[in-house]
Amino acid sequence: MAERGAAAQLRWAVFSILAIAVTMAFLFPIYWSFSQSLRNPLDTFTVAGFGIPWVNFEPTLGNWIDQVGTPETMHALYNSTVISIAAAILALLLGVPAAYAVARFQFRTWKNQDITIWFLSQRILPPVATVIPFYLIMRTFNLLDTHLALILINATFVLPFVVVILRQTFLELPVELEESALVDGASYWTAFWRVALPLAAPSMAATGLIIFAFSWNEFLFAVAISSQNVITIPVHIAGAVDTRGVQFWFMGVRAMVAVIPPVLIALIAQRYIVRGLTMGAVKG
Amino acid sequence: MASVSIDKVWKYYGQTPAVKELHLEVADGEFVAVLGPSGCGKSSTLRMLAGLEHISAGEIRFGAKRINDLPPRDRDIAMVFENYALYPHKTVFDNMANPLKLRGVERSVIEDRVRKAAAILEIGHLLERRPGELSGGQKQRTAIGRAIVREPALFLFDEPIAHLDAKLRAHMRGELKLMQRRLGTTMIYVTHDQLEALSMADRIAVMNDGVLQQLGTPRQIYDHPVNAWVAGFVGEPPINFLDCRIVEEKGELRLVHSSFDLVLRPEQAAIVRERYAQREVRMGIRPDQIAISTVETPDSFGGQILVTEPIGGDMLVDVSLGGDKVLVKTRPDFEGRMDSPCYLTLDRGRWHLFGKDDGVALF
Repeated sequence: MAERGAAAQLRWAVFSILAIAVTMAFLFPIYWSFSQSLRNPLDTFTVAGFGIPWVNFEPTLGNWIDQVGTPETMHALYNSTVISIAAAILALLLGVPAAYAVARFQFRTWKNQDITIWFLSQRILPPVATVIPFYLIMRTFNLLDTHLALILINATFVLPFVVVILRQTFLELPVELEESALVDGASYWTAFWRVALPLAAPSMAATGLIIFAFSWNEFLFAVAISSQNVITIPVHIAGAVDTRGVQFWFMGVRAMVAVIPPVLIALIAQRYIVRGLTMGAVKG
Repeated sequence: MASVSIDKVWKYYGQTPAVKELHLEVADGEFVAVLGPSGCGKSSTLRMLAGLEHISAGEIRFGAKRINDLPPRDRDIAMVFENYALYPHKTVFDNMANPLKLRGVERSVIEDRVRKAAAILEIGHLLERRPGELSGGQKQRTAIGRAIVREPALFLFDEPIAHLDAKLRAHMRGELKLMQRRLGTTMIYVTHDQLEALSMADRIAVMNDGVLQQLGTPRQIYDHPVNAWVAGFVGEPPINFLDCRIVEEKGELRLVHSSFDLVLRPEQAAIVRERYAQREVRMGIRPDQIAISTVETPDSFGGQILVTEPIGGDMLVDVSLGGDKVLVKTRPDFEGRMDSPCYLTLDRGRWHLFGKDDGVALF
């Protein structure tokens, strides 16, 4: 018993070290940005060790005071929020019914499988291949540098996620639930709206969060389409580069500002994400 | 209330036929069990009746009305599913109230009907619970409750008690039958369990491989199976089959097995002469229609006891009979020992003869 206890403790220790190592690898860039954001420009390149405030350098809130309140930062936050939320809602509105249709109905001309693969193939396509076409389309419709343009583009790119993830969710719901509703007097629409949708809600919340983060982080199209009005957070971060080089101290602040909203939402919605993504395991 | 006509109905999945030219008439108020092994087309039939499955060919009528193209909600049916299909996010009350709500019934009427149904099913104390907190039997009652609140013209039950434990299943058989008699609603009940079909139904439709094999009362199905397949599928413990030969001797037909030899009675011989040209036949005899004894009698023939299995009120005896194995059901006080000789007597009128190749019953 004692020996088994020792072996278990050793395993626990090894796994803990691994877990800490992996966590560190993920958190270090964020920590580094944070550390950067507290430094004087002078300290940026001269700091030794792990850049720990007070140990390796004297921290300052100057960069934060300089950056956070500026109209540019606030505007970028506003733009990113509007675009990401609207794109997520639009993608869910279009994608959930599509996912349900692919999961529940039998298509004749194209097979269901092919339709799903077609949706997925949109994600395999390198986005950069469509930057110029999208730019030209938006110019034609006079939508350059508008929220609508970025909402439409982001929704297009996250739509496949919605379809693929929720298709799986709907497939895992017992079809008898909807059939029972149909027999009991529901139309197909009611069965979808009243039975399938509430049961898929956790999965929808999780998917919504993932696609929100996607649009939030999107840089390529934002930089191509925006010129002044719809600068988003990633573009704003990149804007910390000027003629004298990268202003790491400002970039650190902006990166922190960009990280905070998704992290907050994720913390609040954590419950749903876990439930949504593991629903197949606990259904019944 | 409704009678049901299933008229030359086919169901194809792609190129594969699941139901082949099914013809079945169910009278108003009748309890018909559709019995068969999995994949025999019984569930497809039920789903076509419910409108959950397209009818490939043929016609289904409720009363005089053709319902092929009616959506499920316009068929005035209620269905109970094998997995109960209760909404996990709704309480028992809301689950049962759902069919009424969907049809816009008044709140007070819903309340009244649900409570009444819950009382019949003895789940009145569970109305505020969710399905996750119910036992299998309670879930099943809830599902039945949801079916009866609306007082539909036709009940469709798809293996509703298959997942309950044996004791509860036996209990529910009685309850379901009683409920159907009380409500007087036409019921089509799909099951793979011959005991459920025999014990509950007014008539049984036995299906195999998409084809209706036999339609009849439980007695007819059990006593006069139309072929060897039905005889083998219905009855527990299963019927014994013995390969025999017909031999003609001095104007009499004799049924010859390696360990016995019987003279066919004139009416039996007449049927064989008229309908069967071959000599090879299969004899079918149910375990409870063979008498077993440790003492030899004039009509008996000898075998060897392999195993005895006391099962409470009865005893099952495996007997080796000239290379074949025969199962006999007898009294629990039967005294034969394993590996000792025994003597069997056939209940003269109550065995069957089937064609060797086609399995069609001669008598």
